[in-house]
Amino acid sequence: MDNVCEEQVFNSIFRAHSKTIFNYIYYKYGNEEKAYDAVQEAFVKLWENCAKVIPEKAKAFVYKVANNLYLNVLKAEKVRLKYAEKAPKNPNAESPEFLMEEKQFKEKLDRALDSLPENQRTVFLLNRIDGKKYTEIAEMEGVSVKAIEKRMHLALKTLREQIDGI
Amino acid sequence: MQENYLAKWLNNELSDEELAAFKQTEEYASYEKIARTSEALSPPSFDMDRALADLRERKGSEVRVVRMRPRRYLMQIAAAITVLIAASVFYISTLDETFSAAYAQRTEVVLPDASEVILNAGSELSFSERNWEKERKLTLEGEAFFKVAKGEKFTVRTDVGSVSVLGTQFNVKSRNGYFEVTCYEGLVSVDHKGRQMKLPAGSSFLVINGEVKDVQAPMTTEPTWVNDESSFRSIPLSFVLKEFERQFNVRVETQNVDLSELFTGSFSNTNMNLALQSISTPSQISFTLEGNKVLFYGDKTP
Repeated sequence: MDNVCEEQVFNSIFRAHSKTIFNYIYYKYGNEEKAYDAVQEAFVKLWENCAKVIPEKAKAFVYKVANNLYLNVLKAEKVRLKYAEKAPKNPNAESPEFLMEEKQFKEKLDRALDSLPENQRTVFLLNRIDGKKYTEIAEMEGVSVKAIEKRMHLALKTLREQIDGI
Repeated sequence: MQENYLAKWLNNELSDEELAAFKQTEEYASYEKIARTSEALSPPSFDMDRALADLRERKGSEVRVVRMRPRRYLMQIAAAITVLIAASVFYISTLDETFSAAYAQRTEVVLPDASEVILNAGSELSFSERNWEKERKLTLEGEAFFKVAKGEKFTVRTDVGSVSVLGTQFNVKSRNGYFEVTCYEGLVSVDHKGRQMKLPAGSSFLVINGEVKDVQAPMTTEPTWVNDESSFRSIPLSFVLKEFERQFNVRVETQNVDLSELFTGSFSNTNMNLALQSISTPSQISFTLEGNKVLFYGDKTP
């Protein structure tokens, strides 16, 4: 049977989940450094407990550790998320006006996302950016799928209201 | 529209009719745009290889820590043992030195200041060798004769009272219900129940069952027991028989004998037959000896 203590098994778990943990913590707190540290912390803990954690449970384990790490520490901080610039798909096909409008919309969305409650933003971005299914997010957050759907719904509703200036 | 329909819509869970109706709403365009734009967002890049390298380093250090653990454990044990040894050495050094004389035995002790002590049978003497330089203090249970070398105050404590001298020869007998101090040379200070008495050479202080008795001065320069003889002057028979028990390590039983009768005389500490005669004849009682047991009985034995 596979053992988490084996380098290969451990590394494959790391490759599969480290980026999601990084994003997850980043969405929550908007702090890159903290997100990076959370990944380190989670996997060091996994390594220390590799004999006790079976591979099937490793994912839940690292999410739990990362999640608990800042539970009471970072709550109060106001977030200001940054997103890497993505080059437009086909710059020639789009008019400068269109690009300008797109840019403005994106800025509005960024601001709206910053002001969302942490749990709504995290759920929304895990779904939109990382393509995580509601069931998976529910597992990470430790709540029901229904609760995730609720957060998702509220997130979209709030974002729309903010952007349309209602 | 069903509950959380926006979430359902993003997840393609709306029915055709619901989707059509949703598309009719004026907000739909905004929702569509939000969904599309947000999908194109990307968080700060995460350098997985760097993270893994960092982790490997930390894992290495964690592993080193794990290896250290048994050694740290050993160090803790070693430290604990060292402390224990130091503590017990200290403890033992503060423990009192103890000498004793069993029944039918006598022990002679030379103290650190060259003072001499002779312990009579069934007695125990203890003192702290550590503190001896500071104060000459001993604890006595039973009877002992002291020849004290000149020096600082020399104190003998007993259950009943304490005896202090500077340099002299004296005997202390502290038995159950019996406390006797006899000074043979110099001056002895006796502390009995908060009362201090000076005993000059050739005088005695005696307390029997809490009652201070008048006693005649001894005629000798040292207690007779030092020369294998137990002497008594108007001492209740019960204490005499106790002394007999101690000197010969036998058990004494009595029948129809008045133990409060006063006894004056002495008995040999070496010859039991002679001693038995010495006790029974003046007291007008008889005795039978059976192994380790002596029975004294009065004439009125039925």
